[in-house]
Amino acid sequence: MSNPEEFENEIRTVKESVPDADESAIAKEFARYKDEFLVPPKHALRSVIEHFQKEAGMEVSAPNTSTRRAAKSVERFSDLASDDTNVTIEVAVISYTPRMTMVRGEEKQTAFGWIEDNPWEEGGERTRWDFKDWGNHAENLSPGSVVRLEGVSVNEWNGKFSLNINQTSRVAVLRASERKVVMAPSEPISIERVLTMDGFATVVARVITAEQRTVNKKDGSGTIDLVKGRLADDTGTIGFACFGDFEHPVGALLKIESAAIRRFRNTPELNIGERTKVEIYHDEGFASLENLEASSVMQISELRDGATDVAITVQLTSWSSRKFTGKDGAEKTVWGGDAVDPTGVCRLTAWSELPIDEGSVPLAIRLSNVRVRSWQGTPDLTVDRIEQAEILDAIPWDVIDASTHSVEVDFSELLSGGSRSGVTSSATVISVQSGSGIIHRCPDCKKAMRDGACREHGPQAGIEDLRLRIILDDGQNNGALILGRESAEAFLGQTMADVQAATKDDGGEAFLADLRSRMLGRRHTFTGRAMIDPQGALLMADSFTLTDLNLEELANEVRERWGVFA
Amino acid sequence: MMPNQQRNRRQTATRLFAREFYESSLPDGGQGEFDPRFIVTKLGARVNRMFVCGVVERLERRDTERGPMFSGAVRDPTGLHLWSVGSFRPELHLEMEELVARFDDGDRFLMACIGKSNHYTTEDGGFRCRMQMEDYAIIDREVYATWLVETANHTMRRIDALGKAQSAETTDSNALRDAGVPGDLVDGLGLAMNHYGDWDAEGYKVGVLQALSAAEGRVISFEEHEASPPAPEETETENEDAAEESAESTPTSKGDLNIETVVLEIIAEHAGDEGIDYDSIMKHCAQRGLTDEDSIEDMIYSLRDDKCEIMEPRFGWFKPM
Repeated sequence: MSNPEEFENEIRTVKESVPDADESAIAKEFARYKDEFLVPPKHALRSVIEHFQKEAGMEVSAPNTSTRRAAKSVERFSDLASDDTNVTIEVAVISYTPRMTMVRGEEKQTAFGWIEDNPWEEGGERTRWDFKDWGNHAENLSPGSVVRLEGVSVNEWNGKFSLNINQTSRVAVLRASERKVVMAPSEPISIERVLTMDGFATVVARVITAEQRTVNKKDGSGTIDLVKGRLADDTGTIGFACFGDFEHPVGALLKIESAAIRRFRNTPELNIGERTKVEIYHDEGFASLENLEASSVMQISELRDGATDVAITVQLTSWSSRKFTGKDGAEKTVWGGDAVDPTGVCRLTAWSELPIDEGSVPLAIRLSNVRVRSWQGTPDLTVDRIEQAEILDAIPWDVIDASTHSVEVDFSELLSGGSRSGVTSSATVISVQSGSGIIHRCPDCKKAMRDGACREHGPQAGIEDLRLRIILDDGQNNGALILGRESAEAFLGQTMADVQAATKDDGGEAFLADLRSRMLGRRHTFTGRAMIDPQGALLMADSFTLTDLNLEELANEVRERWGVFA
Repeated sequence: MMPNQQRNRRQTATRLFAREFYESSLPDGGQGEFDPRFIVTKLGARVNRMFVCGVVERLERRDTERGPMFSGAVRDPTGLHLWSVGSFRPELHLEMEELVARFDDGDRFLMACIGKSNHYTTEDGGFRCRMQMEDYAIIDREVYATWLVETANHTMRRIDALGKAQSAETTDSNALRDAGVPGDLVDGLGLAMNHYGDWDAEGYKVGVLQALSAAEGRVISFEEHEASPPAPEETETENEDAAEESAESTPTSKGDLNIETVVLEIIAEHAGDEGIDYDSIMKHCAQRGLTDEDSIEDMIYSLRDDKCEIMEPRFGWFKPM
């Protein structure tokens, strides 16, 4: 806690501005800033002076205004300084080299090249500078043209000057050019990077599986022959499909140039088409087939909807079968159970009978060439043929209790991965969305209604339900968290009837305001499942609590991680 | 009919200290109708939504022709975060009135503020950042300390990434990636390095140290921090006052007045129930001979945020208040 002496200097300064202010009151104010708001006296000085000026009925002194650089229009590069921004200048474009770069998972075109000033004077002296185009102005920056650049900025790097043409910059073509911009050919990139890309890619990879398949065309007009399989390098694996001849055996090392990246559900795949060039590649140092096969075995946390050729070992914790009538009227049986491994939980579905009965679980099962399908948003393993499964003699880890199994995952890791069940994670509540509290569900489709009407089924008397919609955010990722009635009741410590009573009079405004002030800015922990797709993340919570934090430990972790000590 | 509405992912709330935000001068994005707008900081954070905390330092209500708006500031260890609550957010007004009353009575409190980054250009071409408040809560010291630690962590992560980026051969995103810059910072750092050039992040590190110490209960100020020009203490107050001044003095500038009149007329004339979209405003402006899109954009924001003549009911769509 603070003692008055430590503010001596600051108190004197305040007294200079407000001579009549009471010293102990000033000290109290500084102590309050320090203890309650964590603001040191030096930083609180201005606020405290203002406070006492106001109290004394004095005019609060207004500080001067500062000036910043305005837009600058020049004719020659030599008129520019290294810190100039918002510059307007007319230049001749000498070269323009586009480059594809990955920006937030999307392929984006940036470019660099040369420009020269003094573009109009025939035979006049010109200065040449580099430029970078961040705003995809390729159309207006053809080599040979003369353009006016507006809102560009100067960059100095090791004494060398260049211009940045930004997204907000404007390029006005003053004299057009005939030449066209040609795309730069792509270099080989790692599979790890391809998995996050769209567009075209060139890879050097080894074939680890390849299988001739025949598929029916969707419109029923016949069949297509294709080869499907999997490629690997030491950064990961990716499926491929080839619609032409593919005569390379498993184990072959290939360079595949400009294959299209297609996504099936959440799983990217390389399409080898007519314009793709495939050739044998020689590299003694490339990872061997054995190593690549071993490292391509997956864990539950890595499963993605739509994946095929998956190799994985899981522990089965339950097993049962059910009969149903298929579309063709025949009675069929499907088997299924809950699977876990140290990284998560999922379902396992089998379309042919496996040598397992209900009494034999828990047991370990090794699967190969199985596929992943999503069920209720989280990925499940699907076994089609008995030879894809092998029962192991022993479970390769301490037996996991599936009913309480949840894996603690860092929030950003969870949200930048694929859908998962059985996870626990924590992040800060950044918003309590309207529509939290008592809602009305449509009796027909169970969807939440708005203003007494269902979007599909029109106005009607809805069924009341309790739900909370919360945005969790850790500063790098965010997701919408849904608490259903049960988990909301547990979190609130209130029954739905309590909430109904509390929200009856004002339509829930006070209830929501109270929730916001209790939750906003505070870190919370949830357990449940995460459904992740390109539109965002939906988190379904089985339980939700305020996170118990040890501040000192947290601060220490940050100091250790980044080596910041004073 | 509405155009094909592309749903963007919800923007994550950047954690950053005041100084990193108010020292930024690089806008990014917002080209298409529904593209989010960002402010790129010197550390490469692309800030759209932001989450900041601090003790309230200013809070006032201003009456405009279109209704009341509120502007305020919270102080963190590095300076002031300026924010405003527009007249188009009446749902926050009732509580704001109460807070203003508390503030005017001399009460001070810690706030957690969530909002969107925003910028405008002053008459003299200066670049100003501020936050449009979406939501807030009065918090206690524990929550504030947690934010300090979390924000220190994020700031250090960016400082570390900047160091890696500076060792890269070029600012090309592949080169940055190869230098070990985390994927979410590659884009912003590329933009930042080209815009801000070479500089030393040591001053930001001092802010981090100050925040961590405060969170641990050692509330001290570091001399280097005070000494490093421009002293945040003065800069931010100047910024804010300049901002306020410019908001009031802009109409006296002739060029701006012209743009303002035209933009207002266009919006009044063409806004349907949905409003008029950004691109159409630009087209109409071009037809009337106004082609400086940056100035028009600034004017739209100034009309929306400072003068409160227009509102943005849906992202990229404007209508008169």
